[in-house]
Amino acid sequence: MTPTDTLRRRLLTAAALAPLAAPLRAAADAAWPRIERAARGQTVYFNAWAGSDRINAYLQWVAAELGKRFGIKLEHVKVGDTAEAVKRVRAEKQAGRNADGSADMLWINGENFLAMKREGLLFGPFAEALPNFVLVDAAGMPTTRIDFSEPVAGLEAAWGMAQLTFYGDAKKVAQPPKSMVELTEFAKRNPGRVTYPKPPDFHGTTFLKQLLLEAAPERAPFYAGASAEAALLLAPLWSALDTLHPLLWRRGTQFPASTPVMRQMLADGELLISLTFNPNEAATEIAARRLPDTVVSWQHAAGTIGNTHFLAIPFNARAKEAAQVTINFLQSPLAQARKADIRIWGDPTVLAVARLPQAEQALFAQAQVPGSVTQPAPTLPEPHASWVEVIEREWARRYGQ
Amino acid sequence: MAWLVPAVLFALPLLAALGWALAGAIDPVAWQHLAHDPALRPSLALSLWVGFAATAVSLGLTLWLVTRVHGQPAWARLERSLGALLAVPHAAFAVGLALLLMPSGLLARLIAPLANWAAPPDVATVHDPLGLALIGGLVLKEVPFLIWNVVAQIRPVAQAERLRMQLQAAQAMGYSVASAWWRIVWPQLLPRLALPLLAVWAYGLTVVDMALVLGPTRPPTLAVLAWQWLLDAGEAANRQGAAAALLLAGVMAAGALLAALGWRAARGPLLRRCVRGDRPARAVRLAATPVLAAGALLYAGAIGLLLFVSVASVWTFPALWPQQTTLDAWVLVAGSLRSVGVTLVLGLAASATGVVLAVAWLETTPAAWDRRAAPLVFAPMLVPGVLLVVGLYRLALALDLDGSLSGLWLAHSLFTTPYAWVALAPAYRGFDPRYAQTAQALGRNSAAFLWRVKWPMLLAPIASAAAIAFAVGVTQYLSTQFVGAGRHATVTTEALTLAAGGPRGVMAAFALVQALLPALAFGVARALGRAQARRFGAGHEAGAVA
Repeated sequence: MTPTDTLRRRLLTAAALAPLAAPLRAAADAAWPRIERAARGQTVYFNAWAGSDRINAYLQWVAAELGKRFGIKLEHVKVGDTAEAVKRVRAEKQAGRNADGSADMLWINGENFLAMKREGLLFGPFAEALPNFVLVDAAGMPTTRIDFSEPVAGLEAAWGMAQLTFYGDAKKVAQPPKSMVELTEFAKRNPGRVTYPKPPDFHGTTFLKQLLLEAAPERAPFYAGASAEAALLLAPLWSALDTLHPLLWRRGTQFPASTPVMRQMLADGELLISLTFNPNEAATEIAARRLPDTVVSWQHAAGTIGNTHFLAIPFNARAKEAAQVTINFLQSPLAQARKADIRIWGDPTVLAVARLPQAEQALFAQAQVPGSVTQPAPTLPEPHASWVEVIEREWARRYGQ
Repeated sequence: MAWLVPAVLFALPLLAALGWALAGAIDPVAWQHLAHDPALRPSLALSLWVGFAATAVSLGLTLWLVTRVHGQPAWARLERSLGALLAVPHAAFAVGLALLLMPSGLLARLIAPLANWAAPPDVATVHDPLGLALIGGLVLKEVPFLIWNVVAQIRPVAQAERLRMQLQAAQAMGYSVASAWWRIVWPQLLPRLALPLLAVWAYGLTVVDMALVLGPTRPPTLAVLAWQWLLDAGEAANRQGAAAALLLAGVMAAGALLAALGWRAARGPLLRRCVRGDRPARAVRLAATPVLAAGALLYAGAIGLLLFVSVASVWTFPALWPQQTTLDAWVLVAGSLRSVGVTLVLGLAASATGVVLAVAWLETTPAAWDRRAAPLVFAPMLVPGVLLVVGLYRLALALDLDGSLSGLWLAHSLFTTPYAWVALAPAYRGFDPRYAQTAQALGRNSAAFLWRVKWPMLLAPIASAAAIAFAVGVTQYLSTQFVGAGRHATVTTEALTLAAGGPRGVMAAFALVQALLPALAFGVARALGRAQARRFGAGHEAGAVA
């Protein structure tokens, strides 16, 4: 590490610790033009899940803009599972490859972030020193700084928002169930047409957490670490599942592997309700002519679990400067508005749109399109991360094998 | 000592990768976790059942079909279509088969008007708990492979002539054709099918892609579990996955050993039965044609459905025709022509390497060494891909080859070489040694003999070994992603990364392209084989035997 790097690092750390301390902020800002200069001509290998042709197309647009504006070459390294990239970075560290790593930037959150943070596989903190960080709605969206109850600590930058959302064809689901109780009633009337992905699939676990928060008499205990009383506190979840499972697809003896599988099953007519973390997923799928335009989306009236997905830089990235410039661009109102556009991707923004200048606010204006959520519900924060393992283990014991 | 060269070229990187890969599997804590995992017993039992059933049914069907069809007009058609059947990648075939069989699949849609179904039936026709769909898919892929191996054994001129004379002699003595096969031909051929059968058994135990599409989910097979653990972000889970993979390899080896011992014990009594001299009456026999037709229909249906689904957008049950169609998927394929180019170049380079190494080994090494080399040759087929690939990635990092095309070429060659070897060995070892003696007697040196006699005469098997190696190279996913650091997209990585998000049309289109490239390779191999057959006409063959 060069002396200037150390200095910058110290400055960035200070900036992260005290984002409102103006003099330090200014020092970090002064570093930015230098980063932009160094970034010119670099190639960023962005390892990102590539399961959606629409997301891939959005990244092609980003690559073109970055080339034009900053002289950066963005290469989308398509991965089927982010864990592949995590493993690669880990193997590089074990092999002593501390510079010139194969990945410059990752699309990440949750357990992959936790693993990389714990093992020291991430560069930073950098996120809160990016010029566009001030536009992020950190106060209104606490999940932009706490990823699954793990403090982000500037090691990843918020990219998009997610909130548990359900969707189904209005022709077959006349009155969408707006709570878990109503969902159980719906399943009683339509046996075998409702299900959820098999935990530990991340959406499946989220469904269980949502059910828990709705079924439990008190939510407060779940925002602290899982304690010795966990078994007692989780009892309402298991009793709700015992009622629900016989009504599910394959009577709860099998579960689909993932939400993309469920989406296809809904399109085929095998399921009546599917779920997603992207409130605009149904709308974008209708626009892509993969779902009929009679599909509608909804959230549970009392709120559903929400979280954030992020961008991070591995500790051994070759193009750290260009990766930061890229991330800063991805957080810009222009890139965020295009990402939020249902015709493009439909991924909700992390920015505080109301605080933007009028002209930039206008970028986010969107007509109501078929399939989007008409009555947005409040966001429930994720329970403390320690509950995930307890819930998944007990679910596997009761229903897994 | 020249024979050591191909062996070392192949073995060194393989052993290094294996060493790295298995280092994670010697952690006692990982074994403890594995032993206490409630999924272990049921999934291991399931794996054993699937592997055993798929191998037994595939072998039974192969023996029956060859006995029944050889010498009939249908035999030539069957032989001709083998290349095309082998060229269909397992994953693509599984997806097509699922589109046919699943509750919202074509079969259910055809039945729907009769059964009055408004929605797909809530029945597990794929992912069934007994693994029948997976076993069926495996059998459909393995029977052509086994028949192809039988053909490789009986096709060389000398063998074909011997077979003809043996069958003729048996019939002259009053045995039916079937009896002649069971009592004379199979006892000779079966030991030579040991390696292909081992491959079938190993594949059934360790297959992941087909199991994900067709196999049970609660629990899945142990190979799928190991794969999930190995791909997990956490290192403890990775080590548990490595332990599970090692366990699976042990089970595989134990099964092979048991089969070998069983064969040794049963051989004597079986052979005595064969020579007791009775002439069993011709039993009422099932016709093979419907079975062949059903197999052909399933293949055609699977591929046809992939094509159909690639242009279907909204296609609600029970409609037989999609409500909306789109060419989006193919536009996307057209937009990633670079990946097709990378696939072609890599596939050709890796298959050429595999064939050169296989020929070098077969030419320079005594046949007795084949058996000793077998464990090494089969290692890349048997060790779960994820495990070997992580080791290979370590090797590439150490050699500074990660992310480069040359690294990918080496990695793919490691997987293509054993297949080239297995495909080529029977024909190469079966080559009549008298040609060499004749050439020597005529004063030709060995180089001239190889270039002007042996290799031209073996052109057909060499070409089809190259085609098989090419097909193996094309379907590499994990090695491409890891060793290539994800930087070199092939049609397979495009198809599988998109599969993660499930736009079915796009996935189907890429699966078809993935199937098309090996099909082209098999087409070229067949054309070369024909050209060679014309060159060494029938008169030549007869002369050789005389």
